[in-house]
Amino acid sequence: MTVHSPAAEAAPQPKRRRLRVDLTTPGLLGLPVTWLVVFFLCPLVFVGAYSIDALHGPSLFGETHKVTLAAWHDFFHSSVYLGLFWKSVKMSLVVSAIVVACAYPVAYYLALSGTKRKYVLLLVLIAPFLTSYLLRVLAWKVILGNRGVLNSFLFWTGARSRDHPITQLLYSRFAVILVLAYIWIPFVALPIFVSLESFDRRLLEAAGDLGSSRWQAFVRVTLPLSMPGVIAGFLFVFIPTVGEFVTPSLVGGTSGYMYGNQISDLFSTGFPDWQTGSVLALFLLGVVALLTAALTRFLQFRDVATG
Amino acid sequence: MHEGDDVMERRLRRDDLLKLAATGAVGLIASRSGLAEAARAQLAKESGRLQVLDWVGYEVKPLWAPYLQKYPGQKPKFTFMTNEANALAKMSAGLKPDVVRPYVGYVQDFAESGFVQPWNTKLIPNLKHLNPTMVKAGQYKGRQWGIPEDWGFDAILYRTDKVRPKANSWSLLFDDRYKGKIAWFDDLNQLVWAGYYLGFKKPYDQSDAQLKQSQNLLKSKKKLVRIFWSSETDMQSAFASGDIWIAYAWPADWVAMRGKHLKVAYMYPKEGALSWVGMLMLGKGTSRPEHAHAFANAWSSQQSGAWLEDNYGYGHSNTLARPKSKELVQALKLTNPGALAEPHAHIDRHIPRRALYARLWEEVKAS
Repeated sequence: MTVHSPAAEAAPQPKRRRLRVDLTTPGLLGLPVTWLVVFFLCPLVFVGAYSIDALHGPSLFGETHKVTLAAWHDFFHSSVYLGLFWKSVKMSLVVSAIVVACAYPVAYYLALSGTKRKYVLLLVLIAPFLTSYLLRVLAWKVILGNRGVLNSFLFWTGARSRDHPITQLLYSRFAVILVLAYIWIPFVALPIFVSLESFDRRLLEAAGDLGSSRWQAFVRVTLPLSMPGVIAGFLFVFIPTVGEFVTPSLVGGTSGYMYGNQISDLFSTGFPDWQTGSVLALFLLGVVALLTAALTRFLQFRDVATG
Repeated sequence: MHEGDDVMERRLRRDDLLKLAATGAVGLIASRSGLAEAARAQLAKESGRLQVLDWVGYEVKPLWAPYLQKYPGQKPKFTFMTNEANALAKMSAGLKPDVVRPYVGYVQDFAESGFVQPWNTKLIPNLKHLNPTMVKAGQYKGRQWGIPEDWGFDAILYRTDKVRPKANSWSLLFDDRYKGKIAWFDDLNQLVWAGYYLGFKKPYDQSDAQLKQSQNLLKSKKKLVRIFWSSETDMQSAFASGDIWIAYAWPADWVAMRGKHLKVAYMYPKEGALSWVGMLMLGKGTSRPEHAHAFANAWSSQQSGAWLEDNYGYGHSNTLARPKSKELVQALKLTNPGALAEPHAHIDRHIPRRALYARLWEEVKAS
């Protein structure tokens, strides 16, 4: 008869648990890490190689060239490309600010009004996403054109004659900003809604008890606590729109041409200049990464400060 | 034609012979006719749809209907290019079309690109009906790299009810009076017409100083321009809706706008319109050479040529093709291929420093 001591039975258990942990972690992280390496880091390395002419044209392997920083030098000494980048940044900042300003009241109402239909309304808000991005942009051409809905209405009311429509509505910087703002509002409303809905409303009652007006309670309690959502929403808009090229190419005309259009053209419609295109793309990536890092730090600081 | 151009013979001499030995072994042993049958069977193995990289509008069936008669039910698959540089970019990125259509100025660029190969002209019977000068323009280093098909002009389309040109000149494309009503083509060729406007002798081969002048002209006038169009459909849409009144355009745009009952004229500038001839080219290493040759032969037919002229207002290299409309003939000079050449127009030609032109044009857009 074999005698089992409790200690002997308990001994193998930690070993099994450790083994399970060791397999679970790489199992969970393996796929996303592989995905990032294959579809993000590797392409980035290739783009970097193109930017210094280590690779040239379509051949990734076997055709190498003498490394040169000429394209980077030309870029940093080109008022044209940097000017276009700055123009895109400004447009994107305007879009982000407009979107946040428009989305905040919507999110505020949905989160704090106490309506039972808030999730239905939220669904209505994101309903346009059930249609194609391209269709949503093209629909604005129908609205903003010389014979579009807006101008036709003005003709009908007599505010404008048919020979003098408002021409700046379409193929302009205004059109790009308007369409981008329309497209991105739901993306911003969602994070703000989440941050507003999750904060403790007893804080508002406490503010009221301490003599704050509604406005003061909003400025000193609600707004600071919703800042993480606001900043996240701002970034959600700014990062993709600063490199946007589809909307400007459809409604932007010459004045709405953005930095992303130039990158796209250098890779596709221009006589292929992948080297310059890669420089522009990496510069955009770098600036956006720095900006994101800076704002994220700010976000954490605010979290600590308000926490 | 060059013996070395014979794609079909080459196919049978090399690896295919091995396949024939396997697939047609019985026939080979039995008789010589067995070899022929096996060869036909092998060629019939060209599988999948013909891949054509072409311009929007050229996918319509009447332009290559004889091809479908030869290969019923095998409609080609079309991918679209916005200009030659765009086609080169797509092929650089891995697209392998069986047939692609650059224009005459790009014959050398494409021939040297490594993406195309010469045609076997024996397999294009309609070639004998094509304008010999245009056929010659498709040759490079003695080989037939391009089969000429469509031809026409780059000139100025404008609304006669809205625009009063001061002169028949490229300057209408930057007339201050029509700020915000002008469209340029998104192509490096804009530096070429600028060069002709500035009076340079060789706008296709400008010096650095001349290029700077041309670029500065375009940069300074860009503020007057509403759109740079790359899609003909977009430009026509903007023109039809009244968003633009003046456009750098092709004859087909004049036809399309007249079809929308707009009052339009197609102006040939006094400095000379730019002219072009479309060249079908054979993709290098194509796995469907017989289909590709049949496609080029179909495009070269009188039937296709006449349809092109009647419906798009472009000329066709087939000398037997004639449009029905006298108005088209007069307005677009369809029966006079000589109108393409100096001194009437400046035929599109090789630009030795094309990459520099492209870069300068990109800077104009970005400025």
